[in-house]
Amino acid sequence: MIAQKKTGDVILTAVWGDNPVFRQILGICSALAVTNLVLNTIVMGTAVMFTTALSGLTVSLLRKWTPRIIRMMVEVLVIAFYVILFDRALKAYWPDMSRNLGPYVGLIITNCIIMGRAEAFANANPPGLSFVDGFFSGLGYALILLCVAVIRELLGMGTLLGIPIPFFSSALWDRWIIMVMPPGAFFTLAVIVWLARTVQRSKQVTSGGNK
Amino acid sequence: MSIRDRAWFPIIYMFVITLLLSAVLILFGSATRQRVKNNERIAYERAVIQSLPIDLPARLSTSQIHQIYITNVYDTTEASAGALRYIKHDTLVGYALPIQGPGFWAPIKGVIGIAADGKTITGVSFYEQNETPGLGGEITKMEFREQFVGKQISQSGMPVQFRAATDPLDENSVHAITGATQTSNRLSRFLNEQLAIWRERITARQ
Repeated sequence: MIAQKKTGDVILTAVWGDNPVFRQILGICSALAVTNLVLNTIVMGTAVMFTTALSGLTVSLLRKWTPRIIRMMVEVLVIAFYVILFDRALKAYWPDMSRNLGPYVGLIITNCIIMGRAEAFANANPPGLSFVDGFFSGLGYALILLCVAVIRELLGMGTLLGIPIPFFSSALWDRWIIMVMPPGAFFTLAVIVWLARTVQRSKQVTSGGNK
Repeated sequence: MSIRDRAWFPIIYMFVITLLLSAVLILFGSATRQRVKNNERIAYERAVIQSLPIDLPARLSTSQIHQIYITNVYDTTEASAGALRYIKHDTLVGYALPIQGPGFWAPIKGVIGIAADGKTITGVSFYEQNETPGLGGEITKMEFREQFVGKQISQSGMPVQFRAATDPLDENSVHAITGATQTSNRLSRFLNEQLAIWRERITARQ
């Protein structure tokens, strides 16, 4: 890194400019799996934010000591540590949610976003900034998941957070069952990525464009 | 030559980090072990009392569930053929038969309640399942479960039939879940298999 990065830039890049889901197309597996209910998605998003932020912090704290040849082993270990911690806490204190999410919390370990941030950012930046980068990368991911979940739960079940929504839960609305099934996630995500990229591109064109 | 350039340094380093992080996880794991075990037990006890004709308040605390369970539910005996017994004022009021089998994504575990006559179903409840939320997951919802209440286990053939949502029902049948054919079929298969075995054993005793 040539110059110290500014915290504000890091946040903006993490959430919008380089958003893990719609810019980098990372972590799609869980984006598809847990987004048919908004509440499940919120908890899943929180788990990812918790892990990206703290693993970023830890990897960054260790970065001067970690031998380069084993750095990826260390990163995976640190990530797995935080994920297991979160999974266990859910099992102990929120068993119903833990049952809902099933194996997906554990699978956060393999979520490429987290490894990606550890490799691309935390390895080369100070702890505080790595924490911020991790937290907002997680948030950027969680927000997209939330958009997908809102669309899927509303169209597929007529509810939001389990609360029936007028019109969508009435007989006038024929529930789109496909939205709560896995294909619904593909359709929704594709539309969101398309919209977000269109907006990004039109902004670049009006501001003269930097690409 | 600094310590970090030694060939053995990465091995020791990895060892120390692993040791530290695992130690924390093991500590946290054992600190919450009892709690996790209790949670699983309570989920099971809740399913049992939900399947029985017991008036339950809408919100039940963990200790209430356990209290209701230990005052009403008794272990299985030879005569109950593998079902838990619901006893009120020293009389047998019903049975709670634990059932389990494969679902669409993961095993489904539940309890089916049957009145003392060995025929009338008093309720069904599930304490472990991972079916698609909104589809197969609907087996845990009231709309699906309350259909079973009052149904009769038919004395020959399939104990309880699962019919399509458009078909008329009789006293031995319930509606399957529309859009969740796989979950419905699998649930119907193991529920009926296990209920049929129980039906044979209990009629042999009576």
